Amino acid sequence: MTQETKVQATFPSIEWFNALRDIVNSDDAYKRIGTCDAAVGIKVPESQKHFLLTFEAFEVLAVKEVSETEAEDSDFWLEMPYERWREMIQNIKDNGKADLHHTLNTIDLEDPEGFARSHDGYKRDAFYRFNQTFQHFFDSSARIDTKFA
Amino acid sequence: MADGSPEVPEDLAQVANEKGIPLDLMRRALALGFPAEAVKQQIQTPGADAEQAEKFIAEQERIRAGGEITIPEELAKAAAKNGWPEELIKRALALGAQAEMLITQMEAGIRPEQAEKFIAQQERMRAAADRGEQVLDLSWMRVPTEWGIRARPGKKGLTVGALNIGSYGDVPDKWPYQSEMPRGAHPIPGIAAMGYSIYEKAELWADNAADLYEEAVQRRWRPATDIPWDTLEPLPDEIERSLCQLCTYFCEKALLAGDVVGRWLPEMSYGYHEIKLYLSTAEFDAARQFEVFRKRALSNGGGMGLQSPGYFHRAIIDTRVWTETSVVLHILSHSFLIGLYQVGEYVAHNEAESLIFRLSMQDVSRQIAYGVQHLKQFLLRKQDKREEVHSYLNKAEAVMVFDEERDTPLREALIILLGGGLAKEQILDGVRKLEYFKRRWLRDYVARLAAAGLPERRERLHPLLKKYLEEPAVAQAA
Repeated sequence: MTQETKVQATFPSIEWFNALRDIVNSDDAYKRIGTCDAAVGIKVPESQKHFLLTFEAFEVLAVKEVSETEAEDSDFWLEMPYERWREMIQNIKDNGKADLHHTLNTIDLEDPEGFARSHDGYKRDAFYRFNQTFQHFFDSSARIDTKFA
Repeated sequence: MADGSPEVPEDLAQVANEKGIPLDLMRRALALGFPAEAVKQQIQTPGADAEQAEKFIAEQERIRAGGEITIPEELAKAAAKNGWPEELIKRALALGAQAEMLITQMEAGIRPEQAEKFIAQQERMRAAADRGEQVLDLSWMRVPTEWGIRARPGKKGLTVGALNIGSYGDVPDKWPYQSEMPRGAHPIPGIAAMGYSIYEKAELWADNAADLYEEAVQRRWRPATDIPWDTLEPLPDEIERSLCQLCTYFCEKALLAGDVVGRWLPEMSYGYHEIKLYLSTAEFDAARQFEVFRKRALSNGGGMGLQSPGYFHRAIIDTRVWTETSVVLHILSHSFLIGLYQVGEYVAHNEAESLIFRLSMQDVSRQIAYGVQHLKQFLLRKQDKREEVHSYLNKAEAVMVFDEERDTPLREALIILLGGGLAKEQILDGVRKLEYFKRRWLRDYVARLAAAGLPERRERLHPLLKKYLEEPAVAQAA
């Protein structure tokens, strides 16, 4: 039995998100969930790291490191303290996917400000409309040998 | 006939007799070269009578005898506005086209060059008939619709939205036909009205409907096989009973949503097929949600719970116009529902429940997306209706609050699920979390209305809802 060689990447970095993008773009299970069109910002406030993920049709079209303003100029952005990001990604790594207490929705509900935030009440609903796509996307980070910065 | 005038076919004669139109008029029409079937359709048109037929046939006879063709003033104005040459109009009138029909065709976007092809074909047909030749009626092949269309698939395949090219992408503000004719097809006279009541774009349109339709089809899921039912495990009795009560509530909500949308679909005229298509998927989504929550209730040792009071259900069913229905069902009711689905996912005890709620969230959020976009476009086009929308919400919010106060089973089930059991501390924890989540639902509901162009609703909420926005968010879930 051959062991899967995992890509090594550090969170948060453009390399980490690109590795994730490459994984889902070659994943038939991701495509089977269905089309998804959304611009999703990522904010890790302590690290001052901001990214913009573009989901289009059956793929993650682009991943870019951007300014905070550009990350917010999206349908919605995911924001939480670095330690919470680390906990979520470590949980996914340990379980192969998020356990019941670390799903995107659960984390969103636990934060009074919300994990998924937006300047637009209509656009924020993309978080719900494509929730399983985003969950599958982050769950796929179990296939990355993640180091934490 | 012995005198050489044409024989009136039996079926035409029967219709003429029923309408009180003399058979001699029919013979004169046939002598002019009009096909018997076309004459029959024409006299079957509501309002057609002997006087009108006599006037029309006499005019056609006058034209055939070399009389001058006069263009009615209203038709002339429409022709000038739409760039149809006067000569083309005269040729159409010489063929027996009705002025009203020509105006309708112009307003439907038929271009003069399309009309010319059709008219030329009709002229050839008439000439052949005049020569006594037996010819196939191929006029349907020259239908003056836009031809040569080649829609191309994109990244998502060949979508409904991708078909909206050329004149097929023109969605009229008012749909002029009362029949089941699809947009872009060419009307024929004499078709009975279908009894729709929504003919105005502002009353149902949402720009995202075609995309939502494709999204719903692409993101469909199968409760029978996509849910890992084998992850269900026995739960404490009070938890299973609470979850089953919640499932019963969701089953009611799903059936209601399906019924409500199903009632309105036949009211929507065919010019706005994107809306009809999307709402058909919303009906299917409702069926699937009924299915999945009934399956969850009946698959882990539990069963169905108590019926809910249903005051709010009746308020939704009693709405009188589609926009009111959509605002109340898709924005108010579904904001509450998606909040409950979020809570369901939050308290899930296994992978099956977690996935059920996540996938159900996706389905209901598409309906919210339609509702928000429809309200936005309605408010943009019907600025005088703003107060009316507030009155819809005043009434619906009040009934929802009343209903919620009386739905003890739902409230207590949520408290038990959020607190994790029946111990005193668990109940207190459940009450605290429920209050916290209500603030979240209200925040999202108000944000959706603001996105739809109704930001002032925040200040006009029902007092028992507004208090959740005013109280400080001291509590939280974690």
